[in-house]
Amino acid sequence: MEIEDLLNPDNVLAGFRASSKKQALQALSRHLAEKVGVDCRDAFDGLMERERLGSTGVGHGVAIPHARLKGLDRIVGLFAQLAEPIPFDSVDDQPVDLIFMLLVPEEAGADHLKALAKVSRLLRDDRMCEKLRATHKAPALFAMLSQPASNAA
Amino acid sequence: MIDAINIGILVVSLLIVIAVFTSLFSSRFGAPLLLVFLGVGLLAGEDGLLGIQFDNAATAYFIGSIALALILFDSGFETKLASFKIAATPAITLATAGVLLTTGIMGAAVHYLFDLPWLLALLCGAIVSSTDAAAVFFLLRLGGIHLRDRMQSTIEVESGSNDPMAIFLTVMLVELIAAPAGEAHTAWSFVQILFQQIGFGIALGVGGGLVIVELVNRVKLDAALYPIVLLGSALALFGLVGTLGGSAFLAVYVAGLYAGNVPLRNAGSLRRFQRVTTWLAQIGMFLTLGLLATPSEFGVVLIPALVLTIILIFVARPVAVWSCMWFFDFSRADITFMSWVGLRGAVSILLAIVPLLAGIEGAQMVFNATFIVVMASLAIQGWSIGPVARWLKVTVPPREGPVERIDLPLPVETDQEILVYKVHPQSRVAKGETIPRWAMPSLILRDRQLLQSHMAGNIKAGDHLYVVTAPGRAGLLDQLFAGPAADDHDRDLFGDFILSPEALLADVARLYGFPLKKGDEEMTVAGAIKREHHGLLERADRVAYGPVDLIVRQVDERHRITEVGLSLDADDLSPKPIVKDGLLDRLKANLTARRKQRGSEDK
Repeated sequence: MEIEDLLNPDNVLAGFRASSKKQALQALSRHLAEKVGVDCRDAFDGLMERERLGSTGVGHGVAIPHARLKGLDRIVGLFAQLAEPIPFDSVDDQPVDLIFMLLVPEEAGADHLKALAKVSRLLRDDRMCEKLRATHKAPALFAMLSQPASNAA
Repeated sequence: MIDAINIGILVVSLLIVIAVFTSLFSSRFGAPLLLVFLGVGLLAGEDGLLGIQFDNAATAYFIGSIALALILFDSGFETKLASFKIAATPAITLATAGVLLTTGIMGAAVHYLFDLPWLLALLCGAIVSSTDAAAVFFLLRLGGIHLRDRMQSTIEVESGSNDPMAIFLTVMLVELIAAPAGEAHTAWSFVQILFQQIGFGIALGVGGGLVIVELVNRVKLDAALYPIVLLGSALALFGLVGTLGGSAFLAVYVAGLYAGNVPLRNAGSLRRFQRVTTWLAQIGMFLTLGLLATPSEFGVVLIPALVLTIILIFVARPVAVWSCMWFFDFSRADITFMSWVGLRGAVSILLAIVPLLAGIEGAQMVFNATFIVVMASLAIQGWSIGPVARWLKVTVPPREGPVERIDLPLPVETDQEILVYKVHPQSRVAKGETIPRWAMPSLILRDRQLLQSHMAGNIKAGDHLYVVTAPGRAGLLDQLFAGPAADDHDRDLFGDFILSPEALLADVARLYGFPLKKGDEEMTVAGAIKREHHGLLERADRVAYGPVDLIVRQVDERHRITEVGLSLDADDLSPKPIVKDGLLDRLKANLTARRKQRGSEDK
């Protein structure tokens, strides 16, 4: 599974403004839910339920919120680069300015974990994150995310 | 006569200095330092460059015993009682049953392969049955390898405490072989002697420890004399216990353990002095043993000795460790690693002198073979210890980054201490975190000037802070002034995501798609991890649940889980395999599959 299979250029946002974790999740989940045609309330609830188990802020300013959702037919993702970092209860207590959201069909098996693992591995790369922060155009962000190998070189 | 003495002094001290400087070379190439010391000894010896004739086994044994006594005393002294407690049972099992098993297996190998009589064969086994603490720890430190507390302590306590058993077995077997025909030793008398040795050793060790501590704390002396009192009385204890028929090595270890864990006057400077003497003892012992050996005689026993090394590394040690550790809560990777760190060292060579002293037939051959086994073990296991630790994933990142801290000694005992910190540029305080009131420095040394803290303004990176604090706060202070912990492998080791320990296993199972066992509906993730680990929980303990691993990220001081990590199939994620060899990859895949299998059986 490649990042392109998860991410549509429409779902890459640059310079996104959010005031809080909750507001960011709400706005981003609405954006994604509308694009893929699912109920945005369900998506938001699913994400918040996951956050209650423990924050998906993985450290170094990155968060990967994710949830399972009924009525979805494939795994969909959204990437947002935030204009200002927001508190996210992250593992390292650092505010977050890169968010990769994943919504997964209820019955997705191992694919779901592969997608999460892929995203997690991609955003572990500090140089990758630096580049993502330095870019202010959504198409450029999409190109970086979908072709990490050529960018990392 | 005077000339000879001067030349003697010149040669001996030059050898020591050369040995020390070779450590530079050693750390650059990761070569086991002790191997280098042995090498210097060999080079100086009769077949080497200097051609020094030294074949006095009794002198070598004398020097070696004193050195070993000092090393063992220090090894006990540096062992924290807390780590002794968490590791005592597994470590002592290894140090007793493990040594016996190793002796038995090696003895059988020697008997059947080389057709030596049983007693002599077992003697060979006993000689190589103990591991070398110094070798193991120097290498772990050198490689910057941090092990999980309990395994670190187990290895530490094992290698500190298995020498007495090996020494006992060796001496016993030598006496048996040397005993005039007709003088019967019953099995029972051996058990009696064993218990006498251990009993005297422990009892007199504790007693000696008490006396040593009283001497240091009660008697008012010039500060420079305390280390001498400490070491002198440790050696006196060694001699006394040996004379009384107890295990002298065990006694000094126990005495060190006691003295190192109670408040001791000038503890800081005593520790520094101990480090010096331990190094000197190590160097002296290895040099002496290197000098004693005659490499030109090694040819005859070279192949048999190498065969024995292979058996020792790949059969005897693993079998001994697995059979002893099976009952304790260690993962397969942990046990495999403990099998691998069975480095042999100076103790084995020292023990190989015992049959020489007793004039046993074939003793020279046994000595030469032992020498080769030790060198081969140091080379093979010593060089590979770092890669093996990383490959088995038994390492943990240090809890905090580099910290520069000095304990200032105080002239009288107080219930406070002065710590000096150098503020690391990436420390929390240097980044602007406010210092808690109790951690306020009294003095600040900045640009070669001492400032009172209210004159100094904001604390800057590179400042030296003089902090007066209650004992036991050092760990907290470290976190304020230390650099950030390296976390390159953090997510490999501690997982991709965090979970609250109270999160319900059922919720996690639904989200990540693994089946839940009946009755687990109310189980928390912390409870699920605890169930799989019967001992004390530690950071980086992990349990496989279907495709994910649950990992202990943080524990509090009572080993309760405060943060859980979730890893998404860590094996699939490893960024770069350390070992690329096809066979090893297959082995690893096999191990992983088995770990997974174990995980699923548990459900």
